[in-house]
Amino acid sequence: MSAYPTTARREATAPRPAAHPEPSTAHQVGRRRRTRRALLAAAVFLSPLAVFYGIYYLYAFGFLADMSTKQTSLSFTDVTDVGLENFRLVLTDPAFHTALLNNLIFAAVSIVAALTIGFFLAVSLASGVRFRRLFYAVFLLPSLIPLSLFATVFGRMLETDDGAVNTALRSMGLGSLTQDWLGSTGPAYTALFVLLVYLVGLPVMYYTSDLSTLNTSVLEAAMIDGAKAGQMYRLILFPMLRGTHRTVILSVLLGSFRAFDVVYFSSNGQPGGRTQITGTYLYNTMMGSGRVGYASAAAVIVLVIAIAVSAVQILLERRSK
Amino acid sequence: MSTAIDNPLARLRQRPRDNAAVYTVLVIGGLLWAFPLISAVRQSVAHGGFGNYLTVLTGEFNQVSLIRAFGNSLVIAALHALFVCAVGAMAAYAFAKISFPGREALYHLVLIFLAVPAVAVIVPVYYITGQLGLFNSPLGVALPEAALTLPFAVLLLRNYANGIPDTIIEAARIDRAGHARIFWHIFLPAARPALVNLAALSVMWSLQDFVFPSMVLKNADTTTAAQAVQTIQSAFGPTPEQTSQYFAALVLLAVPAVVLVVAGLKFITQGITAGGSKE
Repeated sequence: MSAYPTTARREATAPRPAAHPEPSTAHQVGRRRRTRRALLAAAVFLSPLAVFYGIYYLYAFGFLADMSTKQTSLSFTDVTDVGLENFRLVLTDPAFHTALLNNLIFAAVSIVAALTIGFFLAVSLASGVRFRRLFYAVFLLPSLIPLSLFATVFGRMLETDDGAVNTALRSMGLGSLTQDWLGSTGPAYTALFVLLVYLVGLPVMYYTSDLSTLNTSVLEAAMIDGAKAGQMYRLILFPMLRGTHRTVILSVLLGSFRAFDVVYFSSNGQPGGRTQITGTYLYNTMMGSGRVGYASAAAVIVLVIAIAVSAVQILLERRSK
Repeated sequence: MSTAIDNPLARLRQRPRDNAAVYTVLVIGGLLWAFPLISAVRQSVAHGGFGNYLTVLTGEFNQVSLIRAFGNSLVIAALHALFVCAVGAMAAYAFAKISFPGREALYHLVLIFLAVPAVAVIVPVYYITGQLGLFNSPLGVALPEAALTLPFAVLLLRNYANGIPDTIIEAARIDRAGHARIFWHIFLPAARPALVNLAALSVMWSLQDFVFPSMVLKNADTTTAAQAVQTIQSAFGPTPEQTSQYFAALVLLAVPAVVLVVAGLKFITQGITAGGSKE
């Protein structure tokens, strides 16, 4: 994985003398010199970025690949070569399969929430309602404060005996709906889904921004033709925001690999690892049990998937241009 | 601001019934969204009243002082924003205003790393931090954070830089100005709005980060606010008073982030949306 970036980078950042030394015309010499100077300038301006990428991506990925075939601890002493054993163990671990599947499920929930609730909220807020800024802040806040904080408060709200959710249910006479929220699989999933829905702020931002540049005067004509508000949402505005939907879906998909804090601070994979995602799986194997080689192998697999998603996005983006 | 006349979207609420429906959804939704905050504040004063806030603000819990945690978070956030803006601006200048062979390929290669999740690189980051001797140092957190934010920074700043007319740059070149001077005197001032957005986002993301601080900062006096949520937890017992105090601490930990985010909401929104819609 690290070989490809290295060669491509070297080509662009390290200027080489022109391949053919014999000058044919003065014009070509001038152009070649300009190219060489441009390469040199680009190399200078890109060098700080190259340092960051070199250390935290290239070297890091190389180290990760190396460690994925080893058995070692957090002190990185006592390194034993175990070949591809770590990969075999990770790929056959049912907990890892659950984590990958949960990533997909949680991403799907976030996407559905974004395309429905996020879309509706953004359009409603953009329609000139009163207290727009207040509403905007309230809906965005959970996405913008530290997730560790929001998820912890949320987790506390779900506590069986004195959590705010069960208390509220009881006070509304809905005592039969109270749950041991994070203690059993179904309610734990429900709770995490609700938590993800609360984090709809980012899509609301995307929609709000694109709505402001959208030519919505077509709505007036639709109104005169007798279209109902629901039809305008579904049949006119939703299709008009096609480009935004794509941005939202891809950003949510990539963000789902980063949903570590959401799960870690609310359910932390409980009950019994059923709500684990790849993020918590990696973190707990590394920081919790100190199984560095094993965590590295799992990280390599997650990276390959995440970068593949990203590469597909970039290719689609280029083709659509 | 926007009235029914100049905002076609207001047509969606022209019928009284639709108008009532939209407001009903917004008010109920708003209450639901505010519920976690409201319930946290209520629990924080349920036992011991507002004095709890003074107690947690002045006390130390598992040797963590909240005020020091805020300070640590801000130092890291500022460093992170500085690295991201400086390195990102230089790279964006090269990608937008210097034409060199292989530019587009390299640019897309840089963008591929947008997808790298922090948890996937914790093993190498842990090792690198040890090699650089940066455990318990703000730099040990800000550097890997900056590395992960840089692909986004390059995307956002290059999108913006493409909109800066090349004619200004060419005019300066004819006046024999070098790249360094053009970058400093023309490019940076022109890119200022984008840099402000990026800085606001960088501060927010750093304040949100838990993964790197939790690995790198092991001393109680280097703990960040996002990390303190976890570190102070065991200092509060299960009694009603101490539970209330814990909630008071949680509410307080949110305050700096809320203030910064509300103050910079405009820049954060602009930044995220500008980076998201490529071209």
